[in-house]
Amino acid sequence: MRRFQNSIWVYGDYRNYFQNRVTLQLLARAVELAPEIDADVCAVIFGHSVDDFVGEYIAHGAQKVYVIDHPDLKTYSSETHAALLTHLSRRFSPEIILIGATDFGRELAPRVAKRLGTGLTADCIRLSIDDNGLLIQTAPAFGGNLLAKTVTPACRPQMATVRPGTFQELPHNDDAVGDIIPVTMPEDLPVPRARLMRSERIPKRAQRLEDAQVVVCGGRGMGSKTKFKKLFELARLLGGEVGATRPVVYSNWIAHDALVGQAGKHVHPQVLFSFGVSGAIQHTAAIADADLIVAINKNPEAPMMKMADTAIVADANQVCSSLIRELKRRIRE
Amino acid sequence: MRYHFVVCMKQVPMVSELPWDSRSGRLRRDLADGMMNPACKHALEAAIQLKDRHGARITVLTMGPVMAEEILREALAMGADSGILLTDPKMAGADTMVTSFTLARAITRECPDFDLVLCGCHTSDSETAQVGPQLAEELNVAGVAYVEKLDLQHHTVRLEREADDFLETIEMDLPGVVTIATQRYTPRYASLGGLQEAFDRDSITVIDAQGLGLTPEQIGRNASPTRILDVYSPAAQKENIVMRGSAKKVVEDLLDQFGDQIAAAIGKDLKPNG
Amino acid sequence: MDFNPCMKHKVVRQAVRDFAETEIAPVVYDLDREARFPWDIIEKMRPLNFFGLQVPKAYGGAEVDGISYAITIEELSRVSAAIGLCISVHNSVGAYPISAFGTAAQREKFLPALGRGERIGAFCLTEANAGSDAGGVETQAVREEDGFIINGTKIFVTNGGVCGLSLVFAVTPQEQGARGGSVFMVEKETPGFSVGEIEDLCGMRANPVSSLFFENCRVPLENLLGRVGDGMKIGLAALDTGRIGIAAQALGIAQGAFDASVKYAKERHQFKKPIAAFQTIQNYLADMATEIDAGRLLLYRACAFKDEGRPFGTEAAKAKLFCSRLASRVTNLAVQIHGGYGYSKEYDVERYFRDAKVTEIYEGTSEVQRVVIARGVLSQPR
Repeated sequence: MRRFQNSIWVYGDYRNYFQNRVTLQLLARAVELAPEIDADVCAVIFGHSVDDFVGEYIAHGAQKVYVIDHPDLKTYSSETHAALLTHLSRRFSPEIILIGATDFGRELAPRVAKRLGTGLTADCIRLSIDDNGLLIQTAPAFGGNLLAKTVTPACRPQMATVRPGTFQELPHNDDAVGDIIPVTMPEDLPVPRARLMRSERIPKRAQRLEDAQVVVCGGRGMGSKTKFKKLFELARLLGGEVGATRPVVYSNWIAHDALVGQAGKHVHPQVLFSFGVSGAIQHTAAIADADLIVAINKNPEAPMMKMADTAIVADANQVCSSLIRELKRRIRE
Repeated sequence: MRYHFVVCMKQVPMVSELPWDSRSGRLRRDLADGMMNPACKHALEAAIQLKDRHGARITVLTMGPVMAEEILREALAMGADSGILLTDPKMAGADTMVTSFTLARAITRECPDFDLVLCGCHTSDSETAQVGPQLAEELNVAGVAYVEKLDLQHHTVRLEREADDFLETIEMDLPGVVTIATQRYTPRYASLGGLQEAFDRDSITVIDAQGLGLTPEQIGRNASPTRILDVYSPAAQKENIVMRGSAKKVVEDLLDQFGDQIAAAIGKDLKPNG
Repeated sequence: MDFNPCMKHKVVRQAVRDFAETEIAPVVYDLDREARFPWDIIEKMRPLNFFGLQVPKAYGGAEVDGISYAITIEELSRVSAAIGLCISVHNSVGAYPISAFGTAAQREKFLPALGRGERIGAFCLTEANAGSDAGGVETQAVREEDGFIINGTKIFVTNGGVCGLSLVFAVTPQEQGARGGSVFMVEKETPGFSVGEIEDLCGMRANPVSSLFFENCRVPLENLLGRVGDGMKIGLAALDTGRIGIAAQALGIAQGAFDASVKYAKERHQFKKPIAAFQTIQNYLADMATEIDAGRLLLYRACAFKDEGRPFGTEAAKAKLFCSRLASRVTNLAVQIHGGYGYSKEYDVERYFRDAKVTEIYEGTSEVQRVVIARGVLSQPR
């Protein structure tokens, strides 16, 4: 009997579709990896009236989409989805299953891995295939201070959750064709022991620090509460948000919800300004995802200055004032 | 009804002082001081608050080296009633799959009457967040991750959580497993008197693999489906640009070199006049 | 002989360090700069038994062992010497004398409130003309029918500005056989009791060290601690435990300065390498580490003697003398390692440097410690 065609599966996580395109991002990476193990790229999706998403997955690289469409699947339930994904995986034996590391994905994946008796790596930021055709899964540990490379040598499928934003989705291809494989809902599906009673989308808040594209972080080096307030003006000019280190928050220069650190907010802006921050590891772990870090500190040896893309050796407070002046001049023009 | 809560916890290296052997590029875990994983403290706090309201017995459970007894004692000082330490060199190197298997075995043998297992939502070292959900599977009970608030109602528990921009209310049957998010249940400090007492008490049970009826093939690295190939520091120190001079000069330098990138982020033009 | 810290002491150290670094460290700069006593932090410390370290369990205290006590003071002082000082003084010369010399009724009356930190304790010995020489005390307590009337002025009272209960050393010239002076417990509500201005000191600025005034302060008979004439005995006993506290405090300051120095020496680059690569800096760090280690061993031995119920006065004096002096040396080197930055208030070592000095002065100057030690040495049979 002919062995099953190798396949890489991507779990279709569509609940937050417009904000979170991790499924499409994973399809793109699966398309890149598939030739190395001679595999098909497949998506799996569970829900009710999900045709639009099925089309999207095909347009973004899926060659096959397994669909279980049923009115009972209107709401997300990790227990039900775990049962369904396990069921499909046992039936079709994929080589690899990739799941977006959303909150839901990170709850679902370990349950599926457990049921299938296979390995799982959490929150990967790199995926590659080694010479033996094994999936090398690279994930951060210790607050991003370390990276660990993991493989699952003997058990199948190889499973990983992948951090959203790690890979670029492919452009939408209207001409793409793929097989849609409807699968009937298994009849012996157990009643979930955890039932969703209410689910409401959290209203879009005023811009949140953790979503801001520009973050202005201030530390003790700003000098005083009064001087620290200048950062708000700078943030306003930049359309960004103000974050702070623990000493600043404890000195009541700013409210506690501005704390950027392991015990506070993690930020991932395009640009992060860091004024007078020395850079304790609890703080730097929470800003490591920023694309561009500009640090201003009198002490060139401060850890914050070492991790910055641009380290400005100067008085934080003076540079802040000067930057405000210059930005006002340029933006007015 | 008097509940029985089991809080699973892990001793992790203190993150502020990771001893790093730069020559071998390895973490010297043996040199790092251990501490209770911060998220586990939140889980314990949630259990203690429930105990204060409803009355309960709290058992804290950990798997780790002999020194992991420290965190169990700390947990006793915070308000737990008894502790179980699973320790055996053969248990070392377990991945989440095998860890949850081993913990589940201890729970079914030592705490068969448990109502609720509480775990931290993730550990600060390996950060997988997988043991809690896998424990629910292994125990074959309900499980919900990232719980912000618990409300016990006889044989069910009403849970609130924030997941992927949704605020969810979930009703979960007991017994069950939850992992606790770190927003709401801010852990108390152990009092100094509590710590003294925690070390005077005879409330810790130490169990090895044999005590759990497990063979070496079932536990530790041997039984784990995953293999770690390498752990390394990504801090391949990016070359950074250093600017010096007057405040005016450095601001001009900054905007000269990064003006475009900053302009793109803020969606405004930052070109100087002319 | 086991030199490994036991699990309990390791956990106690970690717990206090966690509290100090999370709750105190972020504001320690402000507290020093503004000379502000942190009531909000005190509020958090109350339920954690920081004020009942040496108060017996029967009175709601934690009754910790001597080494746990030293570790607690050490770890607080590693972050904030001023808060370490508050706790040390409160426990060792505020609460301890009442546990040791108070009647059952006195203990019942005062210890629970002290143990919960509702009243902060202070011990008042020093006066304008009496410091190391307790014989020069001029504060007088005059016997009335149902109590004593106290008159006098005490200076440099640690916790003075915030004390709820002060133990006042006074002479009672009218009384028979009262050469040793006597100790009275004065509650802050007592009419005639008032707090002077907070001293403007070089270090320990977050501790409200002040003068205390006693003007016709009437205290009932039951506020006399021990008997008339027991003052010197009580004072000396209190100072023996007090010295353990101050030694622990000095050690904590030194440890804080040392930790900051190691971190800085690894970070700071000169001539294209970290200054820790230079042998001179290594020598400094080696000396600091050795002294701190030696001091810690002396201190823990004194604590162990105390826990075993053996006389520990000489051991405590040796620990206090050695630790306070090493604190001055270590903080001095810490500033040196930090160079110009070390002289700036931006860096913690500047504060450690100022805080360290007074440990050589209060609760018995280094000179007095030597007297105590010499007395012990010379009284040994040879």
